[in-house]
Amino acid sequence: MSTTRPLIAASLALVTAAALTGCATGTEEVAADAPAASDAGTVTFSWDRNTAGEDEEPAYEETTVEVPKNPETIVVFDMASLDTIGALGAEVAGAPLDSVPDYLQEHLADDAFNAGTLFEADLVAIEAQQPDLIVIGGRSAGLFEDLNEIAPTVDLSIAGSFEETLERNTTFLGEVLGAEDEAAEALAQLEDGIAEARAVTVDAGTGLGLMVSGGRLNAMAPSEGDATGRNARGGLIYDVFGVEPVVEDVKGATHGEPVSFEFLLEHNPDYLWVVDRDAATAAEGAQAAATVLDNDIVNQTTAFQNDQIVYLDPTAWYIVFGGIQTTQIMIDDVLQIAE
Amino acid sequence: MTATLSAPTSAPTRTRPRRTWVGALIGVALVVLAAASLFIGVSDVSPTALVEGGADSDAAFLLVASRIPRTVAVLLVGASLGIAGLILQMLVRNKFVEPGTTGVTEFATLGMLVAILLWPGMAMMGKMGIAALFGLIGTWVFMRVIRAVPVRQLVLVPLVGIMLGGIVGAVTTFFAYRLDLLQSLSQWAQGSFATIMAGRYEYVWVAGVMVVVAWIAADRFSVIGLGEDFATNLGLDYRRVVGIGMVVVAVITAAVLVTAGMIPFLGLVVPNIVSLIIGDNVRRSIPWVAGLGALFVIACDILARVIRFPYEIPLSVIVGVIGAGLFLWLLLRKGSRAH
Repeated sequence: MSTTRPLIAASLALVTAAALTGCATGTEEVAADAPAASDAGTVTFSWDRNTAGEDEEPAYEETTVEVPKNPETIVVFDMASLDTIGALGAEVAGAPLDSVPDYLQEHLADDAFNAGTLFEADLVAIEAQQPDLIVIGGRSAGLFEDLNEIAPTVDLSIAGSFEETLERNTTFLGEVLGAEDEAAEALAQLEDGIAEARAVTVDAGTGLGLMVSGGRLNAMAPSEGDATGRNARGGLIYDVFGVEPVVEDVKGATHGEPVSFEFLLEHNPDYLWVVDRDAATAAEGAQAAATVLDNDIVNQTTAFQNDQIVYLDPTAWYIVFGGIQTTQIMIDDVLQIAE
Repeated sequence: MTATLSAPTSAPTRTRPRRTWVGALIGVALVVLAAASLFIGVSDVSPTALVEGGADSDAAFLLVASRIPRTVAVLLVGASLGIAGLILQMLVRNKFVEPGTTGVTEFATLGMLVAILLWPGMAMMGKMGIAALFGLIGTWVFMRVIRAVPVRQLVLVPLVGIMLGGIVGAVTTFFAYRLDLLQSLSQWAQGSFATIMAGRYEYVWVAGVMVVVAWIAADRFSVIGLGEDFATNLGLDYRRVVGIGMVVVAVITAAVLVTAGMIPFLGLVVPNIVSLIIGDNVRRSIPWVAGLGALFVIACDILARVIRFPYEIPLSVIVGVIGAGLFLWLLLRKGSRAH
């Protein structure tokens, strides 16, 4: 946040630009990861690990880790995995507690310990707990080497499309937790839900994924299958739920492209799918984005006049995006328009 | 725009005809770019569209609701930021300071965060008031600290300011991080006019009023620039004039922050260029600084709208790159008088 001092601001701008272009290319290929249960009571998980430790020039190395079945003590850095583990009936012993959204708190053990932040692990605390399994992903993916020395560590970052990742991670975690049937059932239910939502959006006309943050507007882009963490988010509205983008050439946008109110009126999508990043700051129940969007120009758009501005759950769409319960929240958000 | 800036400086002469000529050039460029600014944007708001569409057309509506407010906001922000830099340079008697290098901007940002946290429902005017109050405290703290620095070396003063800003910025970042407001804060603090429209820009008029105040008190600031002893000997109420100057700087900083976010370098570069052209008489330089500041920002804002059309590039990125270049040029110029 030190966009304040001039020199730093300038260099920050350059770095941001570099990062934006960079993370678009930082794809992670799904490895052959059919997690076959072996007799030794372990499950094998393989993925292409970025060993360069950066997105700019990634170097991938296939990494395979043997994970014990029915682990007792699990430490999770990836919120989507926390969601799935909880939904499959297990409890998590440690996580970056400050980053766990309210609706996932129940999946933490009563005496859950703080394992660090989404970016850094408290290695001492984790070592003291002697975990059986550590799950990382997204922002914590770089922690692999340190954590794998403590306990078997798997990286469940998004790889491939959103649905592919969801299926891979849910199946794998189901197998690890001995809840294969529950996992398969949950997956089937989510697939049905997504199909149902797609059936609704197909008749809904064009849409625009819009992130409202700090009073500014950002148009989200389809991730075109390249759903690495940063690229997904608001773009999932097109990728997963089949909304037809109102602008055809939205490309290369990762955190979205800054746009004006005029942009909304000119392109005039039938639906506005709003991710309200400011919701956390607003007073109880208030929609911060709604205040921003309540103005003369937006009031002229089709989306406003037909009451087709849909507010999406910011935690689900922006922070977690993945996991069983979260995906159900996203499906419900989209199905709102069918009511 | 580049032509305008380089014309006077490539061969700095002190003859009056040349200066008048440069002044006229700035004026003409300002009028041309302001007019262009009215007709550049996502929607079609051209003179022909206005004539054909009549008074009820979209073009006329957008001109009033979006283009005129944006252009006015840009001009006022540019003019007032230049003035804030000029006044601050007089108060501290140092040519390397501006709100961004003295911690004033950081203090105002902290004030804004406090307002958002404690009174989320408060009207924007109230939030701006709190930001201005913090900015005022920031100016005061800076001047106190500077007074305590034994050797008032040229480079030491802004360096102390930047460090001060760093500390306050760190406090702000810490709270924003703990409260999950980091993303909102960075979006909101990023300089941009993309979401400016009628009803969302009026606070800059307060900055405009401060420009008038600065103009009225201009001669006193000239005297202040000669030092406390000298000013007191001339019968000037030193503390009072410094107080007025601090208020002007703090209110301008807060108003700009609330409307457009942080805009680096401007307060530093513009007064220095003007002082190269016409010298250090504040009364004479105020219209120049205001005009050149406005010209600088409007040119950058037009670039911001055009480069990635129909999306926008954050204005602070463009101002940062151009401003940093100009600043370096000022520093490295042979026989630099920018001190």
